[in-house]
Amino acid sequence: MTASVRRAATDPMTPALLCAGGVVAAALGSSDVLAWMSLGGLAGYALSGSV
Amino acid sequence: MSLFTAGLMVGGVLSATVAWVAAGVLGWVPRPVRITTLVLIGLAVVAQELRLIHVKLPANHRQVPQEIFDKVPYWSALQFGFELGTGVMTYLPSAVPYLLLAAIVFLQAPLHVALVAGASFGLGRAAMALSRTASQDSGSWDLSLRDRLRIIQPLAGVASLVACATLLLG
Repeated sequence: MTASVRRAATDPMTPALLCAGGVVAAALGSSDVLAWMSLGGLAGYALSGSV
Repeated sequence: MSLFTAGLMVGGVLSATVAWVAAGVLGWVPRPVRITTLVLIGLAVVAQELRLIHVKLPANHRQVPQEIFDKVPYWSALQFGFELGTGVMTYLPSAVPYLLLAAIVFLQAPLHVALVAGASFGLGRAAMALSRTASQDSGSWDLSLRDRLRIIQPLAGVASLVACATLLLG
């Protein structure tokens, strides 16, 4: 993996953007399970930095 | 999957199950009241994440104690993950988890989707550790997270509200 790809893939924004993308996909595809997965993922990731 | 991640998911599933039980207890509340309450909570969470309001939310003001790392390593990882995964045993720097709980309760989520949401909460928490480790530069990653949280938390609030609207209208 090149350094630039690694940097993008591991940027702290990436998981949040993936979950937000999941919300959009759930809305477009009327997928309740995807909406719940995205909701859960966002809630968990929003706590990043707290231990 | 690491024991830490497994603990996170088990903790999330446990909290989601408690919320699902609460949803059952509140099943007698008329749907318009439940939906109105959820919308108000959602708007308040977004306002909180956008720093428009500051409401002191109930939270357990503690960190996972260092003593757990004195135990057998496997159990330490599992317990550390579990305590973080419940979302109620440590500091909560964001209000978004409250919206997840409110959604499970006020949308009367079926058990299987509540469990999916709880496990996803655990995976969401695990994503931080996984991304940080994969970056191979935890110091820079921590600094970057500190900056990005100003965007991540409002984004999570708004996207969560949209997810609730999707579930409501779907």
